[in-house]
Amino acid sequence: MDYFIQQLINGLTLGGIYALIALGYTMVYGVIQLINFAHGEFFAAGGYVGVILLSYLAGLGFMETHPWICLSMSFILTMGYCAFLAIGVEKVAYLPLRKQSRLAALLSALGMSIFLSNALMLTQGVFDKPYPGELFDGGWEFGLISISYLQVMIVTMTIVLLVALNILVFKTKMGMAMRATAQDKTMSALVAIGSNRIISITFGIGAGLAAAAGIMVGLYYGSVRYDMGFVPGIKAFAAAVLGGIGNITGAMLGGLIIGMVEIFGAGYISGQYKDVFAFIILIAVLYFKPTGIMGVNVDDTRV
Amino acid sequence: MRKRVLSIIVMGLILVPFMFTAVCAKTLKIGSMSPLTGPYAADGNDIKNGVLTAISVIEAEGGIPGYDKIQLFPQDTACDPKQAVASANKLINLEVAGVIGAYCSSSTIPGSATLDEEDIIMITPASTHQDVTDRGLPYMFRMCGRDDAQAPAAVKFMKEALKAKTIFIVDDKTTYSQGLAEGVAKAAKAMGIEVVGSDHVNQGDKDFSAILTMAKRAGADVFYMSLQNHSSGSIMAIQAKRIGLKSQIVSQDAMYHPNFMKVAKAAAEGIYVTYGHTDRTTAAYKAYEKIFTAKYGEIGAYGTYAYDGAIALLKAIKAAGSTDPKKVKAQLLKLDYEGASKHIKFAKNGDSGSSYIAFKVVNGEYVPYWTPADGVLK
Repeated sequence: MDYFIQQLINGLTLGGIYALIALGYTMVYGVIQLINFAHGEFFAAGGYVGVILLSYLAGLGFMETHPWICLSMSFILTMGYCAFLAIGVEKVAYLPLRKQSRLAALLSALGMSIFLSNALMLTQGVFDKPYPGELFDGGWEFGLISISYLQVMIVTMTIVLLVALNILVFKTKMGMAMRATAQDKTMSALVAIGSNRIISITFGIGAGLAAAAGIMVGLYYGSVRYDMGFVPGIKAFAAAVLGGIGNITGAMLGGLIIGMVEIFGAGYISGQYKDVFAFIILIAVLYFKPTGIMGVNVDDTRV
Repeated sequence: MRKRVLSIIVMGLILVPFMFTAVCAKTLKIGSMSPLTGPYAADGNDIKNGVLTAISVIEAEGGIPGYDKIQLFPQDTACDPKQAVASANKLINLEVAGVIGAYCSSSTIPGSATLDEEDIIMITPASTHQDVTDRGLPYMFRMCGRDDAQAPAAVKFMKEALKAKTIFIVDDKTTYSQGLAEGVAKAAKAMGIEVVGSDHVNQGDKDFSAILTMAKRAGADVFYMSLQNHSSGSIMAIQAKRIGLKSQIVSQDAMYHPNFMKVAKAAAEGIYVTYGHTDRTTAAYKAYEKIFTAKYGEIGAYGTYAYDGAIALLKAIKAAGSTDPKKVKAQLLKLDYEGASKHIKFAKNGDSGSSYIAFKVVNGEYVPYWTPADGVLK
């Protein structure tokens, strides 16, 4: 039983991270029906900006005295930076192709992904960068179960961000505009909603969430590397598809399922088939319900 | 159309003199194969830098008679068997006199098979899998030790120094790591240590929480961490500490790298690593260390072996007075001198002997902790 609970906590942490990344895929798809393959790179960029900020603050000595202020500041600045990065990428790589076929934008996204990950490699080097996260080490022990502060922090942060996003999308005017743009761009333009602005905001929010996940991963695993965006990017994409791409609740659910399946597959069967389990679930769900768990008809997507 | 053909011919004629100069200036070409990009880039660049250091030393001593200069053609194998074969073919086309490399056993084995077709000498500084030299290739040499020497040494260390009764083994399914993990499991059974569990992870994984929880439940005395690369190793060490793994962690030569400690920091403390013994007080090592660190910074795990491999190759070519592989091989087998890493003397099969001892990480340094002959060092 202890073992099960410990693996459940591990799975929740990993699932939360996947869910945060998956949201970016699903939101962008909801609005412009584009799979943004460069999304994993925003996650990696978030990890790097976070390590740069935190190391700088640690160098100044602020980390020792005000760890929580430093951490929240890094989160806010990093999420803001990555949001602007994503908006820039959208303006450069996707906006000129809006009127072209969807395939053109998809290829542009792939190119952008390769460009961004190589830019990270050239500017930051090929070696792992250590995260100054020792201050957040430690945790609680209940018999055989150990919960680290970081795990609690990741799960709480994930929940807070997910709730905030839900409020934004379903309770505010901005969210209403986003949902309207997703349904019909022409119609929403007629009622004075600037679709380009809404699309930019959607990209920004998605990348901000991915950036938050990037810092969490850096803190949790202790290091970041330039190619860290690729595998989690693919997994989160799978999570978004599993939950029903275009559906926000679906992406959260999909992320949690993929994380749990991976951890339980590794914990009860074998670590070498971890990725296999994640994708088997994806195939199985798509086989029986091609639109994903929460997905409705593809033409009727929500943000 | 005719104009274009004409212009190509003219261009070709213009280039002819360049080809002549290339042939006339006698350059001794040697190759290196190691992962210069990707997850193993740190070790791969160490190998390249080790060879470059060796070349500068030999050139400073007067070079090789009959050649103006020695040029290195470093190839990136990315620890990928396919790319290793492609690199080997490229080096064959360049007509190199010998190759230092590769890094991953899974690259060295197919790469050496390709080089063997053209009788090119290959000296690996880092591939410890037994099959590297056990296949009987005539021109395959090895500077580092063998896994079937490392695994029993590691198990002997666990039994004698750590008084281990149970062990949990993890590997990442690469030729090197799995070979070692299997070797350790076999040796453990032979020496009466019970293997209470074993599992595999994938190369490049970041999340080891599931497998570490499994290891924690197993509660073995020793957690044997057999990974290809120090980058995964440091992440696993951090997570092991966070999850509260009580077992002593023992790992192998791949974790003997400054970057392992830079990333793992406090989590690296108290981890044991088996690695070939290098006496750092010898004149040969000090001379090498001075040149290497001045040019390339800290010495990684395999820089020293790559340096010794390149020096041995160049010495043999010098003594043979030609690059004929048969003559060079004869000279390589005759070599008998103090190298930077150890005493250099090749056996008939190409091995140069293993000298595994255990190091313990103390205050961010690898401190020699145990030797098979003397036991725990005071």
